[in-house]
Amino acid sequence: MTYTRRAALAGFAALGAVGVAGCLGGGRDSFGDSDAARDGESDADGGESVAGDPNGPPTVETAYHVPYEFETLVAESLDGGVGKDGIPSVEEPSYRPISEVTYAERLPVFGVEHGGDARAYPQHILSHHEIVNDEIDGEPVSVTYCPLTGTAQGFRRGDTSFGVSGRLVNSNLIMYDRGTESWWPQMLATAIDGPMTGATLDEFRVVWTTAEAWAARHPDSLVMTDDTGFLRRYENDPYGSYAPLGGYYAQDRTMFPALAPRKEGHAKSVVIGARTGRGAVAFDKQTLLDDRVLTGTVGESGERVVAVADTGLSTGYVYRNPDDLTVESDGNGYRIGGESDGFAADGLPLDSVLAFDAMWFAWAGFYPDTAFVGEHTGAGYGR
Amino acid sequence: MGAETESSTDSPLAAPVAWTVGLVHRTGFAIRASLGRRDGRVTFAVVWVAYFLAYAVGLDHLGLRGSALTGTAGGRSSAVDIVVVSDPLGLLTRRVAPFQYEPIALVTVGPIEYLFAPVNVAIGLGLAALVGVTLAVSVVAWRGPAACRIGAGAGAAAGIPGLLSGFVCCGPTLLLVIGVQASAGLLAVMQWFLPIAVLGLVATLLWVGSRVDPAAVG
Repeated sequence: MTYTRRAALAGFAALGAVGVAGCLGGGRDSFGDSDAARDGESDADGGESVAGDPNGPPTVETAYHVPYEFETLVAESLDGGVGKDGIPSVEEPSYRPISEVTYAERLPVFGVEHGGDARAYPQHILSHHEIVNDEIDGEPVSVTYCPLTGTAQGFRRGDTSFGVSGRLVNSNLIMYDRGTESWWPQMLATAIDGPMTGATLDEFRVVWTTAEAWAARHPDSLVMTDDTGFLRRYENDPYGSYAPLGGYYAQDRTMFPALAPRKEGHAKSVVIGARTGRGAVAFDKQTLLDDRVLTGTVGESGERVVAVADTGLSTGYVYRNPDDLTVESDGNGYRIGGESDGFAADGLPLDSVLAFDAMWFAWAGFYPDTAFVGEHTGAGYGR
Repeated sequence: MGAETESSTDSPLAAPVAWTVGLVHRTGFAIRASLGRRDGRVTFAVVWVAYFLAYAVGLDHLGLRGSALTGTAGGRSSAVDIVVVSDPLGLLTRRVAPFQYEPIALVTVGPIEYLFAPVNVAIGLGLAALVGVTLAVSVVAWRGPAACRIGAGAGAAAGIPGLLSGFVCCGPTLLLVIGVQASAGLLAVMQWFLPIAVLGLVATLLWVGSRVDPAAVG
């Protein structure tokens, strides 16, 4: 296997430069985050990277921060008790217009928008499958969900597909790609074992929101149905419930030991987590939704970031803010540096950092050196 | 009490084959005798059905329909509905977890849902029969004190391996319920719960049977 190391890029892009790539004044789709990273525009991290494999999924050059040796992560992995593909990924998802479906109030869905194609993946279906190998706007992708860490993430998959290995690390789903059989812990998006060890997946944003909020924002969206090729009691989540919050999702204890203990905070409180090549940062989601703007640094790197809330979708976005520009809420949007252009939360003219919801214990376990911004709140969010 | 029988005088060390044959013979006799009595048959039938239902619930194959949908997105709005997968023969032997196999049909009756997994139905009915027979023999032994020299507690003890077998279905989710954090060792042991339970049930049955005086039971 060939390992390559890429030299650090110098400095962050200036506001005006990134504004061109950052969809000034409007929103960007789910894949927008990753496009910049693939082009090398947004990376200032200089993380170690590993060459891809033609049989494996697409990778990006810049590695995410992983504060553990890969051997340690493999040694700490556990057999989840179901075996490889015991939890079957969905290979041929089916959809219907979201306007035709009436879901229970606050039922979580994972939203993806790309090329005008908006799709919602209901959490109660993905809790039984964890991976959907799909095509969105003609591009092969995998939308993934780990119930035990509360993480929904999307990855480009190229000509291969992902399956559920049956193993967990830090309670997190370890995926495997069917091209090289490499192991990919979902949250790390990095292979820890197999031919692609050290490689980083090409990731895109998946929005954890509710069915009614997604339908309001994207009335023409499709929603995945339970016609998956398998039969499950889909309306019964084996771990608990999000609407209302109960079971595993509300408990302060975890099912499997965390890689590292958290010093404080409820295990199942939700953070909007972001990682770069230099570190990680977690914004308490409830605090972000309340305050709308939070600022912090990535780990101990000093890399300044700002998080803004999309209160309509009850989610948040993270941006690099190297010049420490003032970001303020302005009605439903945001203004930057005193300008009152009313940018959408997902369309600030700053360099975006891919972020996703995660249970706090899982984030702190994978990233014990993470920065934390906000107040520690209770389990879940928005109650 | 006429508990000592002719075959019981054989020593397992001196004549192990004869002792084992005698044990199986006496156990078989005890089973037939127990199921020949009304209380034995009732016990067997009740336990067989109850255990199978509990096993199905433990597997999460049987239960009340959840509340994710308030509409009809699943397409199952009628009082009774049966949905079958498109490739039942291809899926029915697909292993989902240790001793757990793929459901090929979903039966909905009002608020109740049942996932039909043929292999698990066979396993469940077999386990239920084993537990039912063991408890039937124990109940007969308990209700007929002249029939044996075992205590009433033996009946309850006989059910323990059966309950153990139920743990295998749930895997780590069971740990969630009882509040125990999983470890690699515990997870490895849990994968063997079902064969351990079956062996335990057979051993218990032989033990219970060995302590019943066939002549008295008859």
